[in-house]
Amino acid sequence: MKVGVFICHCGNNIAGTVDVARVAEETRKIPGVAYAINYMYTCSEPGQDQIKDAIKKYDLDRIVVAACSPRMHELTFRRTVEKAGLNRYYFEMANIREHCSWIGEDRELNTNKAMEAVRAAVAKVMQDKPLYSSSFAVNKRVLVIGGGVAGMQAALDCADGGHEVVLVEKSPSVGGMMARLDKTFPTIDCSICILGPKMVDVAQHDLIKLYAYSEVEEVKGYVGNYQIKIRKKATYVDWTKCTGCGECMEKCPSKDAYDSFNFGVAPTKAINIPFPQAIPKKAKIDPTYCRQFTKGKCGVCAKICPTKAINYEMEDEIVTEEVGAIVVASGYGLLDIEKMGEYGGGRYPDVITAIQYERLLNASGPTSGHIVRPSDHEEPKTVVFVSCCGSRDKSIGVPYCSNFCCMYIAKQAILTKDHMPDSQSYVFYMDIRSPGKGYDEFTRRAQEEYGTKYIRGRVSRIFPKGKKMVVRGADTLLGTTVEIEADLVVLANAVTAAPGAPQLAEKLHISYDTNAFYVESHPKLRPVETNTSGVFLAGCAQGPKDIPASVGQGSAAAAKVLSMLSKDFLENDPAIAQVNQNACVGCLKCVKTCPFQAIVEEELRGGKVVAKVIQTVCAGCGVCTSTCPCGAIQLQHFTDNQLLAEVNALCLS
Amino acid sequence: MNAQELRKAAKEVLPSVDVVIGQRAGFDPLHAEPCFATKPEDVDDFIASPLCVHNLASYLPSLKGKKVAVVVKGCDSRTVVQFLEEGLIKRENVTVIGVPCSGIISVKKVLERVSHEPIQSISFDNETVTVKTNKREEKIPLLEVAPGKCTTCQYPNPLIFDVLVGQKLEPRGSAEAVYDDIREFETKSLEERKEYWEKTLGRCIRCYACRNACPLCVCQESCIAETRDPHWMSQKDDPKEKMTFHMIHAIHLAGRCTECGECERVCPMDIPLGQLKKKINMGMKELYDYVPGINPEEKPPMYVFKVEEDKIEEHELS
Amino acid sequence: MPELAGKELRIVGFLCNWCSYGGADTAGVGRFKQPTDLRIIRVPCSGRIDPLFVVKALINGADGVLVSGCHPRDCHYSDGNYYARRRLEMLKQFLPFMGIDGKRFHYTWVSASEGQRWQKVVTDFTRQVHGIGPLHEKKEAAK
Repeated sequence: MKVGVFICHCGNNIAGTVDVARVAEETRKIPGVAYAINYMYTCSEPGQDQIKDAIKKYDLDRIVVAACSPRMHELTFRRTVEKAGLNRYYFEMANIREHCSWIGEDRELNTNKAMEAVRAAVAKVMQDKPLYSSSFAVNKRVLVIGGGVAGMQAALDCADGGHEVVLVEKSPSVGGMMARLDKTFPTIDCSICILGPKMVDVAQHDLIKLYAYSEVEEVKGYVGNYQIKIRKKATYVDWTKCTGCGECMEKCPSKDAYDSFNFGVAPTKAINIPFPQAIPKKAKIDPTYCRQFTKGKCGVCAKICPTKAINYEMEDEIVTEEVGAIVVASGYGLLDIEKMGEYGGGRYPDVITAIQYERLLNASGPTSGHIVRPSDHEEPKTVVFVSCCGSRDKSIGVPYCSNFCCMYIAKQAILTKDHMPDSQSYVFYMDIRSPGKGYDEFTRRAQEEYGTKYIRGRVSRIFPKGKKMVVRGADTLLGTTVEIEADLVVLANAVTAAPGAPQLAEKLHISYDTNAFYVESHPKLRPVETNTSGVFLAGCAQGPKDIPASVGQGSAAAAKVLSMLSKDFLENDPAIAQVNQNACVGCLKCVKTCPFQAIVEEELRGGKVVAKVIQTVCAGCGVCTSTCPCGAIQLQHFTDNQLLAEVNALCLS
Repeated sequence: MNAQELRKAAKEVLPSVDVVIGQRAGFDPLHAEPCFATKPEDVDDFIASPLCVHNLASYLPSLKGKKVAVVVKGCDSRTVVQFLEEGLIKRENVTVIGVPCSGIISVKKVLERVSHEPIQSISFDNETVTVKTNKREEKIPLLEVAPGKCTTCQYPNPLIFDVLVGQKLEPRGSAEAVYDDIREFETKSLEERKEYWEKTLGRCIRCYACRNACPLCVCQESCIAETRDPHWMSQKDDPKEKMTFHMIHAIHLAGRCTECGECERVCPMDIPLGQLKKKINMGMKELYDYVPGINPEEKPPMYVFKVEEDKIEEHELS
Repeated sequence: MPELAGKELRIVGFLCNWCSYGGADTAGVGRFKQPTDLRIIRVPCSGRIDPLFVVKALINGADGVLVSGCHPRDCHYSDGNYYARRRLEMLKQFLPFMGIDGKRFHYTWVSASEGQRWQKVVTDFTRQVHGIGPLHEKKEAAK
């Protein structure tokens, strides 16, 4: 066995605090190591060539690279050794950057630690075995979760690429948050006017199958072959019959239903179509308000419906769809302003959220675009906007910036002036964050052309005084406190993860961060991939972002799906469990613990019962290996002997 | 225990099975040995007394596919239940002849009691043992020469049986007292415990008798103490390797050991190996409210989980 | 040499690839300084960690062993960490019976985004092991 070890300086990232020459020198003394050298950038082209050349020149058969995290470059170097003719699993990385040079301050200790990491990696690589992938067929259908602008974009791009798309939207209509907006910054385009055609495209695309008012119930399978259970929630209206005429909504006697589309700005009917441009334009009954459900009698809608579509007996239905890839575009939520006690915590009717204000501005909203105070329906003259309402506030549990509030506040201030030329808007802000194309100019226009007064400082309290709301805050530029008597206060409450985001992540086996936003595979280089192959991210589910970024991510996720589905077969990761039939005693404890039901019982000729791994189902976790008492089932590339080699290298000497 | 009744019951069962496993007199008055009866006359050799120390349930997994009747004491029956929990035997293939037991002898303790004088005969009467050596006759209360497991026995009656021979008995002492010996050992300092085990396990000659006798060591010739792939241990005569081996045995039995005591009984070096497994069982009871070999419908705790565990809390670092 | 005598103790860490190994990477990227004693072994899932690896390490030379996986409900393989939790808790209770301080072995959950939490876990655990001192007699040659 001839091991070659390549120790990377990573410029000064490693060499700055690790004596790389000494690591190389000590490495040469390890039995089995035939060649060791340190180099400036091992991942660079000359660096990789150096590995390939050394393999040929010194007849090396195993390679160790001591550099950054294998999560960064393992794949890069596996390809390198493969190009030089070695099996790609005859390769190990010693992480001497993230786990060493970047975290330890003492050069001597770091150097020693790096040498240890190399010794463990050499011990492991000497136990490595060649592994070979096998290929399996790919289902070319795509599941998109979430019918907001990001999800719709992904669905349309995938469908235009020729793949059948299953689009699951939990609310009764696609459109998401964007469908609720009045205008978009910085162009003041009418939001629904640009979104509406996309929604129609989704509805009319031959290859898109839309499940509105539905949720993903269960995800089984693996990349290329997922089985998805979808819960179609009961709408109590047979959508195959409903024409969306709206008769029912007009005649429904229950007028106090909460309108989630309008964020409760005004009530709606117990049977309703969320908004005029809804796709699908179908009615649904809210049983918490419908008299047929609460009182047991009414039946007005059933009587009036011209197509007899009403069905009070309807129940949730579970359907199964098979797909090969999944795009998660499940959107975001908004911070409950009850958490903001100093701003009234939702107790004052004239302190509203920005999305509610958006509905007031909207011509198809509940006030037909007239800005009125919720308390007395009078037109406000003084409007105060409070930015960073919860955002960048650890005590609220939102340590991050919500990304687009600064911009929509500027937009809403501009629109306020447009609607009511004699009004005056104030904005309390912490910093104006406007780093997009045309964005900074836009916030300046709000101030310079529309006379919005920007006050740099936080609002400490909002309280009522007669018909007015007093907004008390600091002006940190002037070093004074300010009080503004407002007719209406608009809070830019923080963007949060969508309700239920962790539960969906658990179904998909993807990670989420402490704020419940989904974690991308690499923050810079793999922004729409997840660590679960076949599952991609788009839109605010991954973190707050504005419309162009969401659309961009939707297309990016679709591009990833399309490139994956351009192949008829995918290769499996050969690092999966394998049974040694001679050693297996047939106790089948592995069958019990496998999280994927990937192990079955097999009777050999002669009657001996052993465990058998279904290759395409095994995900490579290794729970079976640590369940098996006799070591008969071994997770390849992480076998007992391979891990013991590392343990021994680190402990025995 | 009544041998006549047992033989009668065994003969009734015999026609419907391939073999009835019982115990018969062994090579000397102190020993019994397993007896595989396939004919009625074989059954006539069966004995029923505190000499019947063997856990005959151990043979069941190796007789897979055969119809087997087995004579079990209360403690042995837990092994049968555990096999069922783990799916290692099929209930329909096994006929259990249960015998309530008031205690068995420990050959080692009897011999010690009579200073290893050659024994001419041994007899039992109401939990009293009468031992005759070439020099004397001694009457000893059974529990004084019984293995530790009998002194706190909670399961004198078989937990599973098709035929019950004899009268049911009361458990001995309280259930809480079962782990008193473990708790007492834990009053020692960590240093003392470490020293104790290094010394005690240091006696191990790695004969693997404990493993071979263990009914739940399913691996047998595939045991990782002896394989190269995986290569968990070397064959070096090293205290660390001995410690490793016994910890492997104990951990492999976590949530599985029915405390039948075979490992201790067969140990030629008199190492109290059962204590390791008993300690783990104590944890299984506390953490997962699980006692091995009680309910055939239960699942051993190492092969299941709860998303929210009732008793496991995050450990804080000091 | 395995550890620098007088300065370090021998601590072995078993980290799941998807969460804790990533968390340790995140800590590195953030330059969150940590003691250098820890040597990390990467495994795909905490469910892959046979408690016997911990035993093997502690008996053969490690002064402390740290295991870290994905938070419950967040396992990349859905259930691996639940099995790990049961097995490792069993071990944690068993070790003191054999005379090995249970504080030499710690298992916890760190996600890929929790760099700061990782820094704290490593720092606190290293301090805890140093508080107990070495488990094995250190060879003269190590000096």
